[in-house]
Amino acid sequence: MTLEPTEAGGALRLPSDCSISSIRSIHESIQEALGRLGALEIDCSEVNRADLTSIQLLLSTAKTGAAQGRPVVLTELSEVLRNTIERAGFTDGAMIDQHFPQKKGGSQWPRS
Amino acid sequence: MTTIDPAAVFRQEAAELFEVLEAALLDLGQNPDDRELVDSAFRALHTIKGSGAMFGFDKVASFTHEFETAFERVRKGEIKPTQDLVSVALAAKDYIRALIETPDETDTIIGDAILADLSRFVSPAEAVEAAVSSPVSSPASTPMSERRQVGWHLRFEFDAQILRNGSNPLDLLDDLSKLGSCFATPLTDGIPFLDELVPEDCYLKWDVSLHSDCDKAAIDDVFMFVVDEMQLVLEPLFEGEAPQPVPMLDLPEVSIVPPEPPQVAEPTTPAPQPAAAAAPAVERRSGEPRRADDRGIATVRVQAERLDELMDRVGELVIAQARLSQLAASGNDISIKLIAEEIERLASSLRDTTMGARMVPIGSLFGRFRRLVHDLSRDLSKPVEFVTSGEDTELDKTMIECLADPLVHLIRNAIDHGIEPPAARAAAGKPEQGRIELAAVHAGAQVLVTVKDNGGGLNTARIRAKAEEQGLIAPGASATDQEIHQFLFHPGFSTAQTISALSGRGVGMDVVKRTIENMRGSIDLSTVTGESTTITLRLPLTLAIIEGLLIRVGSGRYIIPLSAVEECVELTAEDERSRSRNFLNVRGNLVPFLRLRDVFDADGEPDQHQKTIIISTGETRVGLVADQIIGNHQTVIKSLSKLHSNVTIFSGATILGDGTAALILDVVQLVALAQAQAEKQMSEAA
Repeated sequence: MTLEPTEAGGALRLPSDCSISSIRSIHESIQEALGRLGALEIDCSEVNRADLTSIQLLLSTAKTGAAQGRPVVLTELSEVLRNTIERAGFTDGAMIDQHFPQKKGGSQWPRS
Repeated sequence: MTTIDPAAVFRQEAAELFEVLEAALLDLGQNPDDRELVDSAFRALHTIKGSGAMFGFDKVASFTHEFETAFERVRKGEIKPTQDLVSVALAAKDYIRALIETPDETDTIIGDAILADLSRFVSPAEAVEAAVSSPVSSPASTPMSERRQVGWHLRFEFDAQILRNGSNPLDLLDDLSKLGSCFATPLTDGIPFLDELVPEDCYLKWDVSLHSDCDKAAIDDVFMFVVDEMQLVLEPLFEGEAPQPVPMLDLPEVSIVPPEPPQVAEPTTPAPQPAAAAAPAVERRSGEPRRADDRGIATVRVQAERLDELMDRVGELVIAQARLSQLAASGNDISIKLIAEEIERLASSLRDTTMGARMVPIGSLFGRFRRLVHDLSRDLSKPVEFVTSGEDTELDKTMIECLADPLVHLIRNAIDHGIEPPAARAAAGKPEQGRIELAAVHAGAQVLVTVKDNGGGLNTARIRAKAEEQGLIAPGASATDQEIHQFLFHPGFSTAQTISALSGRGVGMDVVKRTIENMRGSIDLSTVTGESTTITLRLPLTLAIIEGLLIRVGSGRYIIPLSAVEECVELTAEDERSRSRNFLNVRGNLVPFLRLRDVFDADGEPDQHQKTIIISTGETRVGLVADQIIGNHQTVIKSLSKLHSNVTIFSGATILGDGTAALILDVVQLVALAQAQAEKQMSEAA
């Protein structure tokens, strides 16, 4: 996982495998990044394996960021991650915006 | 630090699950109506799938999923599991095993062919009438009789640990959506902040409106494998109502309204729960037997190598303790003697505990042969009933591993050669279905494993003719039936008329005998013409430490395994005088004996009062003449080096209390040597 500086803070790129077998190390990386940076962008473009633990981690990250006043946005959600989020029942646009805040101006999802 | 390879853990767990799956499938062939067997098979499959996915065995997860799907109609009770279907399911199990153990050598074409076979057997055209679960209870039978039920409303949450067990709630949501129009709302109130999050735990809950005419059983089926690990509230969903999901506590400002279900005629409005709706059923079957994945609480998985290491350490401790005891005995220090006795007691106790930890029920081995019998029975068109007993009999794990191949040979032979074809059995007035019994029982310090078939018995005349043809016995020479049957264990000996894929090449029985003898065991064979053949394997309880009888021959000391010792007698002057005969008269029975001084070419003068130790293997008794019987000895067996592999009369060595080595006598070889000597003397006398 790479953490790169951005204008507002930093950007973290999620690894290909975000399933339960790797989720612990990703959790640690996100915690560390959120502790150091003012705002955090999470690049989800390379996620090829995702499951419920990935969804929960992103939910917790958004919740924590909101509570601490440190905005967290997701960028470039991969098809795999989108599909997993939808399978978990997050199909409504407002619900997705609330729980999986995405960077404005990029390719937004849901598209409809 | 010890690192544990998760993939290795999965392989080990999968191996156990395969045993469960195979046993369930085989039992299902016998009891096609047993729903518990179907559920057991599915639970094993489901766990393999879930764990496979978790540990990165994607092909395993994918194929197992397809297998589950194809087998779905069996689970629903729509078709019965026929023998053919069970055979295909067993092949699927083998394929999954291959995907796990040798993924690079496993071709997906095989998997596709198995799935195609499975689909053919479970296709609607093949379906037979079976009990179909009753449809959903009619509205008339409910208090809401004036309202039409259009589906179900579910609220469920899982135990925190469920994801670690390989279960995937997303799959369950997918399964629910296959039952009808499914509107799932995730409830995120349980999601903690990052610093409190245990990333492998499950926090999400769901509120689901399922518009479907499915019955409750169909929903139960979806949650069948996780019902012990979840809480489910299930209510009928009536026309015109769409239950409001529980609001998300942490995000009150967001209005969450499930999309309008198309089937519902009236627009949905936030409505209270119908007061008269059927009472929610909170389902949690805590009283049911715990499943395979719960068993870890009572047991600890230990690598086999560690048990071997532990046994080695205990062996060294026993040797050191023997030296200490000897030193203490030679001195006058009472306190040292007391400590030596205490350590002797502790070492003995530790030895027994360690040996107990290595003991494995032989049932784990017996289970493997059910599949063998099933497949051979099918291939040879010989219906065979396979009966096992004594599965709880425990044996050292090393013995269990060594026993597998010999038993495969014996069972194959029993079906191929022992059990007659159905027509022949019918003609002989026997039931067409043959019977093979595999049993284990403790007998003193030994375990007896018997393989018995109710076939035609051994053809002694044919065995004799073959032996004469191979020059193993002179034509017309006298020999008992038992002696003739022993030729079956001769290398290259086979009376089979034709060579099949299973047997007839003369390879096998000699290997069986050698393997059993290498374990310090022996084989007995008995037969009743036209009725049965029984092969009995006599095995020691353990290979690591034995009770031995320490003897002296010349200046050397030797160990005889105590389990083979029947009695000790003094060599009388009369026996001494008949040096050319070498037979003892033991209570009226002539027993051949070996003078170990001659066998070992011992130096020095023999003791004045020589002792004879009578040993036996099966029915055969032989005397061994030694200078002195020293006494019992806890014998830690050490293997001989490869340099001594051609020495047949010793099976190993041990270290005595004074640090010197003593060789352990190979009882089977000595008995054979004594018999050969006796036969030679008898033929010379004749």
